[in-house]
This record gives sequence, structure tokens and C-alpha cells, in this order.
Amino acid sequence: MPIVLISSSPHGAGQELARQLERKTGWPLFTRQQLAEQAHDQGIKLSRLETSIVKSPVIPEKLAREKELYLAFVTAKLYENAREGNLIYFGRAGHMLLPGVSHRLRVGLEVPRQVRIENVVRELHLPPEKAAEYIDQIDRDIEKWIHFVHQQNAKDPGQYDIFFNLQNMSLSNACMLLCETAELPDFRPTPMSIKRLDDLYLAARAKLRLSEDEHTRALDLGVRAVGGVVTVTYMPRQEKAAQSISHVLQDLEGCRENLCTMAETNILWIQEAFDPKGESFKQITRLAQRWGAAVELLRLVPYKSDAPVPSPTVNRDQNQSLSSKPTEQIYTGGVEDDETEAPVDDGGLALTQEELVAIGRSAGGFTVYGGTSEVIEAVKENSHYSLVVLGDLFLEKGAETRKRQTREMGLTIREKLKAAVITADELESRFLFGKKQALKVVLYGAAVVCIYALVFHFQDPILNFLGGEIHAKWKWLASISVALFVPLVAYAYGTIAGLVLKLIDID
Amino acid sequence: MHNFLVHFIHIDPAIALQVILLGFIGGVLSGFIGSGGAFFMTPGMMNLGVEGVVAVASNITHKFGKAMVGSRKHGEAGNVDKRLALSVLITAILGIQLAVWINSFLFKGGSGHGAAQGAGANLYISLVFVFILAAVALSMLRDVLRQSVEGEEGTGPSRKIADFLARLNLPPMIHFKVADTKVSVWILLPVGVATGYLAGTIGVGGFIGVPSMIYVFGVPTAVATGTELYLAMFMGAYGALSYAFQGFVDIRLTMLLYLGSLLGIYLGVYGVKVVNEKYIRLTTSVIILLCVLSRGIAIPVYLRQLGFVSMNPDWDKYFNLTSKFFLFASGITGTLLILYHVIRAHRHRSGLQKTLRVVKQASTYPV
Repeated sequence: MPIVLISSSPHGAGQELARQLERKTGWPLFTRQQLAEQAHDQGIKLSRLETSIVKSPVIPEKLAREKELYLAFVTAKLYENAREGNLIYFGRAGHMLLPGVSHRLRVGLEVPRQVRIENVVRELHLPPEKAAEYIDQIDRDIEKWIHFVHQQNAKDPGQYDIFFNLQNMSLSNACMLLCETAELPDFRPTPMSIKRLDDLYLAARAKLRLSEDEHTRALDLGVRAVGGVVTVTYMPRQEKAAQSISHVLQDLEGCRENLCTMAETNILWIQEAFDPKGESFKQITRLAQRWGAAVELLRLVPYKSDAPVPSPTVNRDQNQSLSSKPTEQIYTGGVEDDETEAPVDDGGLALTQEELVAIGRSAGGFTVYGGTSEVIEAVKENSHYSLVVLGDLFLEKGAETRKRQTREMGLTIREKLKAAVITADELESRFLFGKKQALKVVLYGAAVVCIYALVFHFQDPILNFLGGEIHAKWKWLASISVALFVPLVAYAYGTIAGLVLKLIDID
Repeated sequence: MHNFLVHFIHIDPAIALQVILLGFIGGVLSGFIGSGGAFFMTPGMMNLGVEGVVAVASNITHKFGKAMVGSRKHGEAGNVDKRLALSVLITAILGIQLAVWINSFLFKGGSGHGAAQGAGANLYISLVFVFILAAVALSMLRDVLRQSVEGEEGTGPSRKIADFLARLNLPPMIHFKVADTKVSVWILLPVGVATGYLAGTIGVGGFIGVPSMIYVFGVPTAVATGTELYLAMFMGAYGALSYAFQGFVDIRLTMLLYLGSLLGIYLGVYGVKVVNEKYIRLTTSVIILLCVLSRGIAIPVYLRQLGFVSMNPDWDKYFNLTSKFFLFASGITGTLLILYHVIRAHRHRSGLQKTLRVVKQASTYPV
């Protein structure tokens, strides 16, 4: 049975819906209020985080760290409370928790504004006009919270699996519908969705443990767990303290392997099949070494259009039982690792990751089944990427379709993750120094030398044109000439400077 | 000497090298600090004998091309909110026009008074420079020191003004999609005019524009920097056109500045990636304060030229020399410190690429 995540505006009917569902199903209920109390006991400054987010548009680095800690804490608590398999959670932006877990049921609830105002009048003893102001203010605050904590638009309907409007529906009927929805096979746990949940829990515990230790508390870390392997990236300036990471995670339950990579930033490389001997690998590792970046591999296995089982995002209304899915095509809920008893085709993922470990640039790797939305779900909780490289994707499609779909994926990833996205083909021209770049330096260099020689050789007439007698007659021509000439020089010389520094690995 | 060389200096190889050096230091500081670098280059050129208005004009023209190159890169990374930039620009043009008008008026107002030619504009530019940049540097220094006292738990720069303005919900509000923020037109107007005025007067509009966007408008830092560069491109273009129309742009100075600045800016930006943020702010505030001191030392010369104080004209060279010393000392020391960190980090980085793998025995981890 699913984990039901209910999200509703404050002073609406979310808590009541959660209680009714608890009574009907007997599943445990966990609320944000309980969560806040437990967070306080654990020393997580939730109220400070809330106040800072609500009060100011700028989030300092330390509060961003507290946000990560809060999310890890929520994830861990949800998992622990759902140990029996089922859970009802009611709380602010609850529907945005546990990304990539396919057996969560994300529920939204809309209650008429007047009802909410009446609730506030009754509960907080405020006059109606003050209650209305209070409701508007708290809605704005929650919008800010969702924006900064989850980087999502609070009003995006795509974030919900089911949404109830209580304008013309009773709460009990909504609860009945919710019970029926929760029984649907689409929301039943699958081995892969359970695995995804386990991974989230392991990563959350690793983050919490690292935040508790005095040596690792203040570090800026990227933490991900896949199949019992915890990958941690840390900044070069924190190298000394980072020695403690492996020590801190030494006896973490469920962690069978720990990878610690020093990196100033992360590069996400998305491809269907990896080849450590290929040109793309060489180029990406060159770039990673220059930037001091760690490379995270994401193997994307797109759903085939002729496959018997399409994406769950498509088949949710088809009432298709999970048990009917062929084993090899089970929806993974996003992430899985490649550890199996029998040798499997992992698209060169393990081998490429080994190579990255060997050169000290690995930030882990995993497989995602699906499309763009599954990729975003899988990486958004750890989305500190300075660059996303899209390699060979949609290989079964024709060249034009492949190009279009890759471009569309790039645009969506750029918008959602706020990261620079390029294709592997563009790597050399944009970030590396090759023959083309050398030729460019020579040609632009010659042009720049000519321009400078001409200007300094003919100083007098030029200055006359810019500020002398000629200028007095042709003022507009002089100013337009300056406006056209200057960017030309800046572009030509700027290109040379950039390429030369690229050549010596400083960019 | 031709007539037009009255306000355009003669450039010999020594002067050319010094201008390139000014450009390089300005570029490094600009890349490192995230602002234009004009706070160093404009007074530096004035110390070399360039008229204040020509120094400002040549520098704003230099900024135009530089911003065009920089904003293209930011645009590719999705860091430019064009709507926000164009909204600020409309009001910023008023500010630039005001600055150009005042500068030109003061420069021409000195005609016929011998040595006082341009002294009015020089004094005015120096005074604005000293007051504005002293306020910026002291505020930055106060934040750094406050954080040091509060230790690791400090929460960044003061947000009192931002909190106050965020509570004001004055219609009409404009929504900026890329920056993902709503701003009241009544807040946008003064910020735009102030940014334009400072860009046109001393060439440092970014000192007002970037913090305003971050703290007053609530724009993410990367978008604020990218948008400011995009804005600077238009403001620079408008400033360049206006000053060129007045006949104050010395294209040779602009081109020499580029030789140093476009190389320096890359190194400065690289430095930001490898140096601690607190150290960046401390270095920045100290460098700006030394630049302010340097410009302050030059003020008595302009006061004497205008007849406000009586002073032996032979002392001018000592004032200029001391001013020049402080300016170059601050710029060179700052640049050397930044370059030291850049080189150290670069070497450190190539030597320390590693992944530590710890695989546990099956019995040691419960599954």
C-alpha cells in the first residue's frame, strides 16, 4: 500500500482528511507538527529556517545547509514511520517529499477561502478581516517556502496524483475516493520503488550523521546513495576535515561502500551507454580535471514506444496490475543500481565508473528508466551541477528525432535544475582547446594586431575625429563609430584571452 | 601639439604600459569582486594625467565592450533576466544623462581659468567616488567583522533594508520570470536612476545595481550578476555614445585597458572559485578603501586649482605622487594576493584529484 502525502492550505481540511483516512484504513498518521517537535529535539532549527525564508529573498549558505538537513530529517522520519509499509503524512508541501518513489500518493486539497477564514476566526479568535489578511500572508509565506526548499511552483498541478476541491464535495466523500485511489495497483510498492526509498533513507541518514559529527558538520557536501553505495563529494578547501567522512560513515547501517571525491563542482553526464575508451569520456574527464569537478553518471534507459508496459506516468489511468508487468520492464521509480547476481548489460556504467574512481573524479552512477521527468525526479534532491552533458540519447530514434528530443530534454533540465546544459558534441568547442581553437587564436590574433597597429599608427586623425575639428562636424558619426568599433575589439581580443587561458587550463 | 590633444594625453610606451597594467589590475579585481573595476581604473588614469571626464568616458566605453562579451556568457547559462535589465535601463538612462550633463557642464565650466580647466569635474568625480565607495567598503568591512565576531553561525550580510522593503507591497508590481521575483515600480525607479547616475559619473553602477537586485529585488546572485552585465552593456553603450558625442572618448585608452582587463577578468573570476568568501569580501573592502584614500589625497590639488584653498602649486606633484602610490599599492597588492591564491589553488587542484573508496566486509554492514 502507498505512502499517502497530503498537502493542503493551512486552516483548511487537510488534517481532518488525514484523520478520516487513518480511521478508515488503520494506517499510521504522521503530521508536520510531530515532525517539527522531533526536529526541535534533534537540534534542527526549523523555526529559524522558516523565518529566514519568509523574511528575506536571500538564503545564506549556512541556511541552505540547514535546508538540506531538514529535508534529510523529514525523509528519515517518513521512512521510519512507514516501516510497516503504509503511512499517511499531512504537512506543508508534503506532496513534494520522497522524490522518485513510485508508491507515494500525492494528494492536494482545496478548501473554499471563506471556510478557511471561518476556521481562523474560530481557532485564533481573530476578527474576520484580520483572519483574511492572516490567510493571505500565510499563503504567501508557504509559497516562498516551497519555492526555496523544493525549487517548485506551489501551484503546479503536475505535482499531484489526485487533487480534491471541497467546493462541491464533502470531506467524507473525498476520503472515500482517496481510499479507493490508494488501493490502485499503480501506487503499490514495487521492488524498485522500495529500493529507491531505501536509497533515499540511506542518503538521509548519511547526511544527518555527517551533520552530527563535529569534524564534518560545517562541510559543504553532496551526498547520494545508490544500492548501499554512499557517494560523498566535498570541496577542495575542506580537504583536511574531509578525511573524517569515511570514518563518520564507517558503521552506518546499510552502507556497504563509501566513495569520497574531492570536487569543487559536479558534472552530470546523461547517456544511454557509456564507453570509457570513447572520445566523450576523454573530453569530459579532461574538463572535470580542469574544473576540479566530480562526474556523476546517469544511464538513461528510455521507455520504448512499442513496449508492452509504458511509463507509469502514462499508465496510471489504465488500471494495469503491477503483477502483469514483465520483470525486465518493471518501472523502477527512477533509480536503481546494477548489482545483480547474473551478469547484466549495464550499458558500460560500472566500467566507466571504475575508470572515474581510478582518476579520482567519480561522483557515483545510477540508472534511470523513463524520460526527462524521471531524470529530474532522480537528481533534483542533489542538484548542485555546474554542467549537465547530454551524450548519445534516444538511440532507437532517427537522427532528426534524436536531435529534437535531446534538445527538448536539455531545455527542460536547464529550466528545472537551473544548470548549464550542453550536448557531448559541443564539449570541445565550448570548453576545451583543440585544433579549431588554435586556428581561431591565430586568425583573431592577426586581426587584433592589425587593428591596434592601425589605431596607434594613425593616432592624430583618429583623435581629431573623436574630439577635434572633424568631430565638431561629424559628432554623430564619431559616436556611432565608437559604439560599433569597441565591441568588435572586445570580442576579438576577449576570444583570444579566453582561449589562451583555456589552453593553460584556467577558465 | 594639435588642439584636440588638449584633453587627450600623449601616450608614450611607458604610459601605455601603465594603462595596460591598470586594465589588468582592474580586470583581476573586477573578476574577483564581481563589479566593474572602474573604481581602480578611473582614478588610475586620472593619476596618469588623463582628465577626469576623459577617464570616465574611456572607461565607460571600455565597460560597454566588456559587458557585451560577459553578458553573452551569462546569457548562455540562463543568468540574464532581460525584462528586469530593460526595466532598470529605462530609468538608468535618466541617471546616465544626468551624470553626463553634470560632468560636461563642470568640465566646460572651467574654460578660461587656466589650470582650472577640468578641475571642477575632477573634484566632483573625486568627491562622489570618495563618498560612495567609502560607504560601500565600510559596509562590507562591517559585515565581515560582524561575521568574525559571531563566528560560523553568522547569517551573511545585513538584511534590515531588504526586510523592510520586502514588506512594502506597492502597486504596480512587475513580475520578472527569469529572476522569479516581483518588484514594485516605485522601488525600481530610484534604483535604476542611482545605478545609471553612478555608472555615468564614476563608472561603478554595479556597486549599486548588483546589491540592489539581490537584497532589494530578491534576485538570485548569479542572475543579478548576469542581468547587471546585460544592463551594463546598454548603459555602457549609451554612456559611450553620449560621451563620444561630447568628444571625450579616447579610444586608445579604451583599447589599452582591454589588453589588460580581458585577461585579468578571467583570472579574477577563477580566483572567486578557489578563495574563501570571507577573504574575498575582506580583500575587496580593503582595496576599495585604499582606492578611496588615494582619491581623497588628490582632492586638495583640485581645490587649489579652483581657488578654494591656497597652496603652493609645487606641492601638486607630491599629492599626485602619494595618491598614485596608494592606488597602485592597493591594486598591485590586491592583485598579487589574488594571483597567489589562483596559482596555489591551480597547483593544489592538479595535485589533489582523488576518490577515496572504502568497501566494507559483507559481515560489517547489516542489509
